[in-house]
Amino acid sequence: MARISIDGDSLVVEIEGLDKLWALKSRLVIPLVNVRGATADPGIVGDPKGLRAPGAHIPGVIAAGTFHRDGEKVFWDVHDPAKAVVIELADERYARLVVEVADPRATVALVERATTTR
Amino acid sequence: MVRSAAELFSTRSYDGISMDDLVTHLGVHRNSLYKTFGSKRGLYQAALRWSLEHHVAPLVDRVAGAGDLAEALRVAVGEPAAEAGLNLLLMAAVERAPVDPEVADQLAPVLAAFDQAARAAAGRHAEHDGGGGGRGGGGEDGGEDGVALALTATILGLRLRARAGASGANIDQAGAALAHRLTHHV
Repeated sequence: MARISIDGDSLVVEIEGLDKLWALKSRLVIPLVNVRGATADPGIVGDPKGLRAPGAHIPGVIAAGTFHRDGEKVFWDVHDPAKAVVIELADERYARLVVEVADPRATVALVERATTTR
Repeated sequence: MVRSAAELFSTRSYDGISMDDLVTHLGVHRNSLYKTFGSKRGLYQAALRWSLEHHVAPLVDRVAGAGDLAEALRVAVGEPAAEAGLNLLLMAAVERAPVDPEVADQLAPVLAAFDQAARAAAGRHAEHDGGGGGRGGGGEDGGEDGVALALTATILGLRLRARAGASGANIDQAGAALAHRLTHHV
């Protein structure tokens, strides 16, 4: 599970609990100018994720860490597909983040508000 | 791809369309949708922009060029080509504009152009009816703006009724009846 917040001009993604271990990350800070959008997308979990390195991947249980596919790096932290949110980035190490949040609808609204009022 | 998305968004609510639906309907990879549009909202805005430009703007031109009010109303609600564009415009106005300022910004100039087109058609109607009618309307400028706004609202309202299942004949009749009334009162 991840907690997403806005701090000034940045999007802050904090990885909670044991996922910190699996994902080998506890916090990502992304300038809002590099955030292209957010989408609630339960279906993405069923797509091929590519090669994991480093992190944990037990299909159907957890996808956490960095995955490589089609020349892109994608950060994953999802147990429950129903709560997956995709955050598309530009000019960042990761092409996108796929993270589980408590309230996908509220998270999407938060990111959209923060990126459109700029 | 954007055109196909516009068609999908004109038939179902924004929240009712998942990324899975879009991936299936558009026949593209999820990753390329994200890479190209950034998010579902990004794709929606591109689709709305496309539809306003390619469906609604030509319709506005045809309404503006209509010989009289009855024809303008017939053009606006009767043409099958107008359906998808007006459906998406209606859905966007109801569902997205209140929560997405960029959608509201996209719709505002289009609705204003619609008003202007309706106003042009109504003005032509008044002229047809005899010089006095046209000048009489001109004496009340606020009134003409009001009529234009009401005509756009009527066009969108008739599209809404058509979507709710009213038959094409009824819609045509309503347009003709309204045009007839306005001929004798405007």
